[in-house]
Amino acid sequence: MRESGRRILAVAANTFLEAVRQKVFAVMLIFALVLLGGANYFAEFSFQEQFKFLKDLGYATISLTGLLVGLLGAAQLIPAEIERRTILTALCRPLRRWEFVVGKYLGLVFLLGTMLAIMAAGFWAVLRWKEAQLVGAEGTEAAMIQAIQAEARDARLWQAFWLVSAKLFVISAIAVFFSTLATSTTFVVAMTLMVYLIGHLQSVAREQWLESGEKVGWILQAFLAGVAFLIPDFNLYGLIDEIVAGNAVQWRATLEVMAYSVTYVFVLLAAAAWLFEGRDL
Amino acid sequence: MSPAVLTQSLRKEFKLGWGRGRVLAVEALSLEVKRGEVFGLLGPNGSGKSTAMKMILGLLRPTSGRAEVCGFRAGTLAARKQIGFLPENPYFPAFLSGAELISYYGRLCGMGGTRLQDRVQELLSLVRLGGEKGRRPLRTYSKGMLQRAGLAGALVSDPEIIMLDEPTAGVDPAGSREIRDLIRELKQRGKTVIFSSHLLEQVEDVADRVIILHRGQKLREGRLEDLLTQTTEWQVRARGLGEDRRKELHAWLVKQGAEVMEEGSPRERLEDFFLRSLPEEERR
Repeated sequence: MRESGRRILAVAANTFLEAVRQKVFAVMLIFALVLLGGANYFAEFSFQEQFKFLKDLGYATISLTGLLVGLLGAAQLIPAEIERRTILTALCRPLRRWEFVVGKYLGLVFLLGTMLAIMAAGFWAVLRWKEAQLVGAEGTEAAMIQAIQAEARDARLWQAFWLVSAKLFVISAIAVFFSTLATSTTFVVAMTLMVYLIGHLQSVAREQWLESGEKVGWILQAFLAGVAFLIPDFNLYGLIDEIVAGNAVQWRATLEVMAYSVTYVFVLLAAAAWLFEGRDL
Repeated sequence: MSPAVLTQSLRKEFKLGWGRGRVLAVEALSLEVKRGEVFGLLGPNGSGKSTAMKMILGLLRPTSGRAEVCGFRAGTLAARKQIGFLPENPYFPAFLSGAELISYYGRLCGMGGTRLQDRVQELLSLVRLGGEKGRRPLRTYSKGMLQRAGLAGALVSDPEIIMLDEPTAGVDPAGSREIRDLIRELKQRGKTVIFSSHLLEQVEDVADRVIILHRGQKLREGRLEDLLTQTTEWQVRARGLGEDRRKELHAWLVKQGAEVMEEGSPRERLEDFFLRSLPEEERR
């Protein structure tokens, strides 16, 4: 068990190191930080609107950058190793295939986690910067200062951050799943984006269908049930928008979505490992 | 004691997909490699050498038949613990340095701590990649250096069997000689070496036994001595014979009823001559 953990960590550390030494991820991170910092210069509205804009743009930047990192990172994980044949020199060693898949995923999670943490720190710094600007402006009253501080130091933003992270980890697990089947990175990116879109649309489609009261055959019912079971419902992460809009979201609801995410990650990784086990290299 | 490698009726077919049929890569391959032996896999491109190696390593699943490594079913963790593998081309993560590569492979074998660090340094010295060379990224290495780094990676866990797929392909004569010397050294240490090569002279130099494959099937197998010795002919190399004596010897042989097939001064092998021409420090 200890040896197994050591092997998984070795694969994860190597995956992380490879990503860190690739300039593309560093460039993406710098771009995201510049975007976050630049958002602070939009100062033509009321302070509430300014914070709303900052939070909208901040979470959009973090989500989009995380999505690109997750997609590109996962797409490169296994297909690129097969293409370069470096996988042969790893899997000919006493390393189980599921250990390889889990190690690769963990490496990607380390990378995503690090980038998310840096972006979150940047976002926090921008919010505090905005707070200092607004509080330091002439004629700011004590009540207004309190309101500004409440906006800038809103603890609910942490909830949103955990939810964004969970969503990105699920998307990465989907990409890892496809990467165990694929021989090209394009296939992985295309399939993951497709699942991402279906995951966003499926609950909307289901609601529309239920509201219409239309009767459908058992084949279509089974198909829709299958889609609902196999594809994560990304609308559950709509809680992020609620938080950014300033609405209260209970921690219980957040934790439920986190548990849902962890379950999906486990199922996807188990399926990926099972499929990869029988694959000729 | 179980043999180092045993295969029985090994067969591998590849599906081409979309109903395009199948390709037969290896058929009815049965072989036995004894422990401590240097075993050569010979054959033209597409003869099934790499496929056979991959099945022994567990990277490919046989369509039928079975393979064992030191008594363990091929592909199992226990079997893979017995093997160190150097692939045909330097398929290594180019972003790592030589030292990091060996360390990574060591950790994949479950090694760690100071034992691994010491082993990495020992192997870097063995393959002459110590010091600054070992800290450079692999993408700056020459083909020969990559092969040496890969060889160190194959040896990191001190496996019982070392499998080398075309270890001297694309390597200059000095590097090639070095790899052959290393194979001999591994044999002296009691290791089993299985390797494939197109360069038959090199195989002849180091292999105890060989197998010749063609279109996935075994054509010949045996000890080099048995396969290559022509028992109906006799060869003598002598020094100090003058022109007259040579003529006398020739006449005597004819008188004895022998057919003299070849006569003359022997030629040095080009590789030996080339290596001898290089400065001392370049030969290693």
